[in-house]
Amino acid sequence: MTGLFDRILAKEWSALAAAIIAGTIGLALTSPAFLTEFNLYVMLRSFCVVLVVAFAQMLTLAVGQLNLSIGALGGLVAVLVGGMMEKLGLPIPVAILAGLLVGAAGGLANGLLTVRTGINGFIITLATASAFTGINLGITESVPFYDMPAAFVAFGSARFSAFPYLLIPPVIVALALGLFLARTIPGRQLLAVGGNPHAAELSGIPKDRIVVLAHTLSGLLSAVGAILAVAQLGSAQPTIGADWLLMSFAAPIIGGAALTGGHISVASTALAVVLIVLIQNGMVLTQVDPYWVQFVLGALILAAVALNRARALRAERG
Amino acid sequence: MQLSIEDIGKSFPGVTALDGVSFTIRPGEIHALMGENGAGKSTLIKIITGLYKPDRGRLTVDGKEVAFSSPRDAIAAGISAVHQERNLIPRFMVGENIVIERLPTRGGLIDYGAVHREARRFPDMIDPSIDTHTEVRRLSVAQMQIVEIAKALSLETSVLLLDEPTASITGHETEALFAVLRRLRDEGKAIVFVSHKLEEVVSICDRVTVLRDGRVAAAGEPIATMGRGRIVSAMIGREERVAEIGERRLAGAEPVLEARSIATSLGHRDVSFTLRKGEILGLYGLVGAGRTELARALIGDARILSGEVVLRGERVTIGSVPEAIRRHRLGYISEDRKAEGLILAHPIRSNIVIPIWRRIAGSLGLISRAAERRVAAPLAQRLEVKAPSIEQAVGKLSGGNQQKVSIAKWLAAGVDILIIDEPTVGIDIKTKTAIHELIGEITRSGVSVLLISSDMPEMITLADRILVMKDFSIRGEIENTRRYEAMSQAIMGHIHDGGDDEAKPREAGHG
Repeated sequence: MTGLFDRILAKEWSALAAAIIAGTIGLALTSPAFLTEFNLYVMLRSFCVVLVVAFAQMLTLAVGQLNLSIGALGGLVAVLVGGMMEKLGLPIPVAILAGLLVGAAGGLANGLLTVRTGINGFIITLATASAFTGINLGITESVPFYDMPAAFVAFGSARFSAFPYLLIPPVIVALALGLFLARTIPGRQLLAVGGNPHAAELSGIPKDRIVVLAHTLSGLLSAVGAILAVAQLGSAQPTIGADWLLMSFAAPIIGGAALTGGHISVASTALAVVLIVLIQNGMVLTQVDPYWVQFVLGALILAAVALNRARALRAERG
Repeated sequence: MQLSIEDIGKSFPGVTALDGVSFTIRPGEIHALMGENGAGKSTLIKIITGLYKPDRGRLTVDGKEVAFSSPRDAIAAGISAVHQERNLIPRFMVGENIVIERLPTRGGLIDYGAVHREARRFPDMIDPSIDTHTEVRRLSVAQMQIVEIAKALSLETSVLLLDEPTASITGHETEALFAVLRRLRDEGKAIVFVSHKLEEVVSICDRVTVLRDGRVAAAGEPIATMGRGRIVSAMIGREERVAEIGERRLAGAEPVLEARSIATSLGHRDVSFTLRKGEILGLYGLVGAGRTELARALIGDARILSGEVVLRGERVTIGSVPEAIRRHRLGYISEDRKAEGLILAHPIRSNIVIPIWRRIAGSLGLISRAAERRVAAPLAQRLEVKAPSIEQAVGKLSGGNQQKVSIAKWLAAGVDILIIDEPTVGIDIKTKTAIHELIGEITRSGVSVLLISSDMPEMITLADRILVMKDFSIRGEIENTRRYEAMSQAIMGHIHDGGDDEAKPREAGHG
C-alpha cells in the first residue's frame, strides 16, 4: 500500500487535491452555510469564467509565451457581443459566433506580431492589451450594455439543483483541451515547441505556426470567458476582464505549469481554480475582508512555486 | 540518393564561414566531414539541414537543385540529422520523441499503441534496455544520445547526417552504432559522419572531406589512401605537434589537497587521493563516472557526508563556492564554459576580475576600469588571449581563447589549486596544444591542478599521475609513464575491471 501512497504523492496534483479536501472538510465543519445547495451553486458559477480564463493563459504558457492581453481582449469581446445583441438586435448565436471570431482574431494578431517581429510576447501583448482596452472604451465610453436578450440572461442563472447551466461550456472546453493536448498532433506539437523549441524545429515542426496557434486559441478562450461573464452578470460591462490577469497566471502556476513552457496540465489547472474558488468562498463565509483574498492568492502562488521548486530539486539530487 | 554540395558560400557579419565548398556524398558510403572548430562544419551542416540559406552555390539531390527554407523541407527531401545539441522534448516519452514528426493517428487522434510499436523498432537496433514509455528527461546523457540516433534512423531517409554522435556514449554503444551504420551503408544510404575522433573516422568511414577556414582542404578522398597523418595536416595546415609541458619536478613536493575516504551527497563512496604542490593529477573516467560531481563536492557545491578533506595540511569543511575561492584559494573551471564559466556579453577585462571585485574596489566601494585593466591586461597577455583588445566581448572569442580567459580569471583570484574540467572539449587542435602548454606552465609556477578529462591523449600528455573513476568511486591510480599504448591499456584495464562496462541509467543531473 505504501507504493500506491508514494505514487499519489509523486503526482503534481496530490498537494492540490489534499488542500481541496482539507479545505472542504474544514469549511463543512465550521460553516453551516457551506454545504447548502445555494452556496454550492454560487461556487460552481464563479468557477466557470475563471476556469476558461486560466486555460486561455495556460495555452500561451504551454509554448513558453504569455498573454497579458487576456483581460483586455475579453472586455472587448464582452462589449462587442453585448452591443451586437442590444444595439444591432442580432440573434444570440450570431453574436456569440462573432464574439468568438473577434477573440480568435485578437489572439491571431498577438501571435503574428510576436512571430513576425521577433519581439518578446510580453511586450507585444502589453501593447495590444492597451489597444484592445482603447477600442473597448472608445465604443462604450464606459457605459455598459444592460439590455441583454432574456434567454441569454436566463442561461446565465439557470441551474439544476446546485449545478449551473453556465458550467456546461467550461466543462466541454476542459474535456476538449485535455483531448487536444494529449491526443492530437497540433496539441502535441504545441507542447513540443514549449518543451524544446529548437528540437521541435529540427524535428520538422512548424514552430512559428504553432506559436501563432497557441495565441489564437488563447484569444478564442478569452472570448469564451467573456461571453460566459456577460451571461453570468446579465449585462455587458466594459470592465469585464479587468481582474483576470492575476487569476489567469495563478491557476496554471499553482497547477504546476512551467513558465519556460512545455509543461502544463488541464486537470491540475482546474484543481487550482477549484482551490482558489474554495478559498474565496471560505473567506466570504467566514466574513473575512474580501481584500485579503488578494493577499491569500499571492501567498498561495508563492507556496505553489516553492513546492514545485523543492520537488524539482529533489528529483535532481535523486 | 546522391547529394552534391556545389560551390557553397556563406558569410556572417565580419566572417566568411564558407567559401566555395564543393563535394559529393554518394549512396552506399560513410563520408567523414572533418575540420577544426571554426572551419565551417557547423555552418555547412546547418545549410544541408535547412537551417541556413547559403549566400551562393547550390545543393543538388540526384542532379536536381533543391532549396530548403526549413528543416521540414530537408526532412521531406530525404535528409535527416543528429545534431550536436540535445534535440529531444524532455517531458515527452522516448517513443513519442522518436516518431514526433509523423505521429500515427486513428480517427484524428494520436494512436499511442502504434507510436510505441513504431518507435520500438529503432532503439532495438542499439539498446533494447530503453523503454519507449520513459520520459526523456529521466534518461542518462548516453541514453538520450541513443534516442537521438534512433530518431534520425527512424526517418528512414536516404541521407543521414551525424554530428559528433559518439561524444557522450560508451565504447560499447559506439560499436553497436557503427554496426548499424555499416548495415545502413550496405543498404545504399548515404551517411555523413562528423567527428573529432580520428580513430573512429578511420575505422568506419570510406571517404573524407576536410574543411579548413571555410574552404575544402580535401574533397572526398578515400580514407585508405589519405591516412591519419594527411588528414590531420589537411585539418591544421601543417604537421601535428604534441604539447611540450616541460620537465616535471615533483620529488618531495608537499600535499596541498587530500581527500581521505570521502562520501558525498551525490553518491561518491570512499574516495581518497592526494594532490601535491605543482602537480597535475588526472581524473579519468567515462561520461557519468562522477568526476564533475566530485569536483562540485570539493568546492562546496554539494555536501561531503563522511571522510576528511585536508587542504594544505589543515582539515577543512567548505560550505560554499565563494568560501572555496576566497578562503581556500580553490577554483573550478567548468567544462561548460558558455553556461557556467563566463559572462559572454561582457568584455575580457571584467570577466577576469569578477572574483576579485571586492579586492580591487576603491575607498567608496566603487570599481574603476583602470583598476580592472591593471589586473586583467598582464594576465591576458601572459596567457596569450588572442583578441583585438581586452574590451572584446568574451562571446566573440574562439573556444580556446575563452578557456584562457577562464584560467586567467582564477589566476587573478590568486587561486593556487585549480580543478579543470575537460579543458579542451570543443577546442581545435592548434589551440589545444597551447592550452596544454599553459596548464604545464601554471603548474611550474606552483599551482596544483586536478585535471578532469575523457580525452585519453590529453590525459597522457598532461597528467603526472592518473586516477581512474567509475561509478562514483576511484578504481585505480597509475603513475604516468607517458607511453601511450601501455598507459591507455592500464587505464582501460581499471575501467573494465569488474566486468560491467556499461553506463548505468541514472537520474537526471549526474552527467
